Amino acid sequence: MRYIGTFYTHLAALKSARALGREGHIARLMPVPRKLSASCGTCVSYEAEEPCLQLLDADMEAVYRVLGEDDYSLIRRGEDK
Amino acid sequence: MKKYLSVVITGLVIGALAVLLSVLGNPANMGFCTACFLRDIAGALKLHASDKTQFMRPEILGMIIGACGIALVKKEFRPMGGSAPATRFLLGMTVMIGALVFLGCPLRMVIRLGGGDLNALVGLVGFAAGVLVGVLALNNGFSLKRAYAQSRLEGLMLPIVAVVLLIGTVIVPQLFNASAEGPGSMHAPLLIALAAGLLVGVLAQRSRMCMVAGIRDSVMFKDFKMLWGFVAIFVAVLVGNLILGKFKFGFAEQPIAHTDGVWNFLGMAIVGWGSVLLGGCPLRQVVLAGEGSSDSGITVLGFVAGAAVSHNFALASSGTGAGANGPAAVVVCIVILALISVFNRERK
Repeated sequence: MRYIGTFYTHLAALKSARALGREGHIARLMPVPRKLSASCGTCVSYEAEEPCLQLLDADMEAVYRVLGEDDYSLIRRGEDK
Repeated sequence: MKKYLSVVITGLVIGALAVLLSVLGNPANMGFCTACFLRDIAGALKLHASDKTQFMRPEILGMIIGACGIALVKKEFRPMGGSAPATRFLLGMTVMIGALVFLGCPLRMVIRLGGGDLNALVGLVGFAAGVLVGVLALNNGFSLKRAYAQSRLEGLMLPIVAVVLLIGTVIVPQLFNASAEGPGSMHAPLLIALAAGLLVGVLAQRSRMCMVAGIRDSVMFKDFKMLWGFVAIFVAVLVGNLILGKFKFGFAEQPIAHTDGVWNFLGMAIVGWGSVLLGGCPLRQVVLAGEGSSDSGITVLGFVAGAAVSHNFALASSGTGAGANGPAAVVVCIVILALISVFNRERK
């Protein structure tokens, strides 16, 4: 499965990608797809059997499962307050 | 291909509008410039005393209102804020001081390139160098911490100010200063300038157009999408200038530009570095302020304050070269950026 995690800061995305990498998942940083957000932050695209929410930084904004080309399904949204 | 379409169309439209607005009255190679126009607005609001750079530019007001309107329609208006506002204000001031040492924001840098101004090429090299330093800071744990949800009114604050200023411009224009000579006296008709601003605001919100992201994303992610927007603006301006016979290749006697390479390079290096720390170029900050980011709103106010300081303290350049205190300001700005980059690093 491929997932995309979006974050409130670039640093949170960077830390999450490193944590996923340490656990053997293929993770890479990239700009957030336009369909997911009007903001221009950094997201993490990663391959895993499960969403691995415990490996993502606390400043996680949302996690999506990638269903196809520019097709996403929301799995979890973080706190924005 | 579809991925690049919106950003390329936005770039082509911005470039074409920049040429058109210059034909209709805006200064040459300054059909559209976020920094110059915010500087003119600061002058119109009597925040600085330079009588050649004062005018309430409808393009900027239109951009904020356009971005806000389309974000509301598309349900993307999202009031967020609280990410180091004081630091962002200072960064906004720093970026504006750098831009006025070069004489233009990254958008005008590309417009100047399209007009054949080779001083802008020196600026582009400085800009890229500044972006790389900013990327280095990001990769070493720099963060201004996260933003949080805010009230709808907080998100609407800058768009409301833009609407009030626009109404004031139409009903009581005598309230604002307006230059009788110099770049501030040169402007396209209000309705056309406003329509251009609205269109750019809408397109830039939809495409997330950002001059900094072009280089930053290419370096950090090998993602070249935004770079195509950069190229599209250049091509549109170049073709427009060639058709109109306004293309003038070289360093000397370019409109509203100076030939001092050191300050052109360093001015834009400050803009690139500061913009990466802020998360977007001046144009992007204006658009984000329209779609509800009060962090970008405070940054735009920092731009205005930076413009006022630049002109009140002789930091801004002119056609003859750097301002009397410009070189000292550049050193101070670099020290400020270095301190902000280092002290906002997360330590393990």
